[in-house]
Amino acid sequence: MTTAADIDSTADPVAPRRRAWWRLLLADRAAALALFLLTVIVLAAALAPWIAPHNPYASSRTVMLPPVWEARGTWNHILGTDGQGRDILSRILYGTRTTLIIGLVAVVVGGVLGSLLGLLSAFYKRIDPYIMRLVDMMLSFPAILLGLALVAVFGPGVVPVIVALAIATIPDCARIARSIAVSVMEQEFIEAGRAVGLSDGTLFVRYLMRNCISSIMIFISLRFGQVILIGAALSFLGLGARPPMAELGMMAAQGRDFLLFAPHIAVIPSVAIFVIVLCANMVGDALRDVLDPRLRS
Amino acid sequence: MLETIANRLLLSIPVLLGVLILGFVLVQVAPGDPARVLAGPAAPPEVVEQIRQRMGLDDPLVVQFMRYMGRLMQGDLGRSLISNRTVIAELSSAIGPTIELMFACLVWSIPAGIAMGTLAAVWRGSLVDRAIMAFSVAGVSLPIFFICLVLIQYIGVKWQLLPFIGRGGPLWTVDGLRHIALPALSLGLIFIGPVARMTRSSVLEVLRLDHVRTARAKGLSEGRVILRHGLRNALIPVITLIGLQAGYLLGGAVVTETIFSYPGIGRLAVGAILSSDFPLAQGTILVLALAFILINMIVDILYALLDPRVQKK
Repeated sequence: MTTAADIDSTADPVAPRRRAWWRLLLADRAAALALFLLTVIVLAAALAPWIAPHNPYASSRTVMLPPVWEARGTWNHILGTDGQGRDILSRILYGTRTTLIIGLVAVVVGGVLGSLLGLLSAFYKRIDPYIMRLVDMMLSFPAILLGLALVAVFGPGVVPVIVALAIATIPDCARIARSIAVSVMEQEFIEAGRAVGLSDGTLFVRYLMRNCISSIMIFISLRFGQVILIGAALSFLGLGARPPMAELGMMAAQGRDFLLFAPHIAVIPSVAIFVIVLCANMVGDALRDVLDPRLRS
Repeated sequence: MLETIANRLLLSIPVLLGVLILGFVLVQVAPGDPARVLAGPAAPPEVVEQIRQRMGLDDPLVVQFMRYMGRLMQGDLGRSLISNRTVIAELSSAIGPTIELMFACLVWSIPAGIAMGTLAAVWRGSLVDRAIMAFSVAGVSLPIFFICLVLIQYIGVKWQLLPFIGRGGPLWTVDGLRHIALPALSLGLIFIGPVARMTRSSVLEVLRLDHVRTARAKGLSEGRVILRHGLRNALIPVITLIGLQAGYLLGGAVVTETIFSYPGIGRLAVGAILSSDFPLAQGTILVLALAFILINMIVDILYALLDPRVQKK
C-alpha cells in the first residue's frame, strides 16, 4: 500500500539536486566572493552596536575629517567624519543595518503575501481570475509611486516606505509563484495525493508549497537588490528614514551639501549601497542559474 | 486588431478606477481638518462647523467621492497650498519637461543598450561579452543619486562642461540641450543595463533558430544575418521591457529631477509631499499613475502589433 509519505519522498523533484547546489554555487568564483562579502556585511550590520568604534549620533568638533588614506586622515576615524563631526564608519554600520532591515522586511512580507496569492491562484482555479485581476491592478502602481503616495498621507518615515515596498513586491511575486505552481499542479504526484484522499491543506502545504518554495526564494532574492535601491532613493529624497537615524541613502543626501570640500561624506554611503546591491544581485543571479534556470528571462 | 485594442482599453478601466479611489483616499486620510485649515486656528468651533457643512465634508463618503469625480472630470484638482496656483496649472507646466527628459534619456540609452546587447550576444563568452554584462550588472546595482552626484562633481563642477541646475529651455534650443544633457545621461545610465541584458538574451535565442541557419547557409554576410534575421526578431521583448521597466525609470526620474532641480513632475511631487501640500501631492501622484497606465497600455498594443501571435491568445 502506498502511503502519503512514500509519494512525498519519491515525488520531490528537487531532492536529488539539493546536495550539490551549494558546491555549484561556490564553484562560481564571483558568486562565492559576493556571498562572502554579503555575509560579512550582514554580520557587521547586525553587530553594529558592539563593533562600531564611536557613537553614531554623537557629533564632535572635527567636522569633515577625510578618511585615513587621505593626507589629513586619522586612525581614530577610519572613514573620516561627516558635516556634524560624526564618525562615518560607525554611521555606515548603523546605516547598513537600517537599509538592510527596510529591504529585508519589505521583501519578506511582500514575498510571503505575494507567493500565497500566487499559490492559491494556481491551487483553486475558481478564484484564479479574480486574484490575477487584482494582481494586474497592483502592477499598475510601481514601488516609487506607492512610496510617494503613502509618504504623502502618513508623512516621511521608515514604516510607510517598508509598507510601500512590500505592497510593490506582492504582484510580481504572485505572478512568478503562480506560474511555478501551475506547472507543479500538472505533475502526477498532485493527482496521486488527491487519489489517496489527502485534505486540501496537506496537498497545498506539503505537495505544492514545498515544491515551489526554492524557485520563489530565488525570485525574492533577485528582488532584494531593487527594493534596497528604491528604499535608499526614497530616503535620499527625505521621504524615508528621518534624522538622526542613520540610513545609507539619507547619509548620501546629507553629504550632498559638502560635495565640493568633502566628497567622501556622500561617496562612502553610496558605495556601501552599491556593494550591497551588487552582491545581492550576483548571488541572486548565481542561485537562479544553479537552482532554477527556468526563471531566466 | 481593433478587438485587441478594445480589450486592452476595457482592461484599464478597473485600474483607472483604482487610481481615482486612491487619489480620493489620499485626500480623506490626509492629516489635518480642511475646514479647520480654511477657518484658521483661532476660529470658533461653530465657524468650523459651518465651513464643514458648506464644503460638504459631512456628506456620506459615496456622495463626496462622486463630487470628487465630478470635479476631476472638469479638471479641477484644487489649488496648491503653497503657491496658490491651481494644481492643473502647476502640473501642466511640469509635464512637458518630464516628457522631454524621458525622451532625451530613451533616445540614447535604448540604441546604446541594444548595440551593447547585440555585441555581447554575437561575441558570446568573449571578453567583450563579459565586460558588457559586468557593466550592466553594475548599472542596475548603482544608486541613481550616486551617478547624478558623480556627474555633477566632475562634468559640472570640476571641468565645468555642462550646467547642472534647472532647465535651460525647450529641448530644441542649445541651452535646453545643454541643461538636459546631464539628467538624461544619468537616467540613461541606469536604463542601459536592463536593455543590454534583455537584448543579449533574446538575440542569443533568435540566433539559434532555423531561419538564421538558413540565412547563413544562403551565404549572407554575418553582419546581415545578425542585423536582419537576428536583431529584428529579438526587438520585440525589448519593447515589452520598456513597459516593464517604466516604474523603474519613473523612480529614476523622480530622483534625477530632484537632484538637478529640473522642473518636472517628479520634483514637483517630492516638493509637494515634503511641504505637506496635499492638493498638489495628490495631483502629481494621479498624473504619474495615469501616465504609468498609459505607457503600459501603449506597450501592450505595440506588442500585439509587432507580434500578431499575441492577439490569438
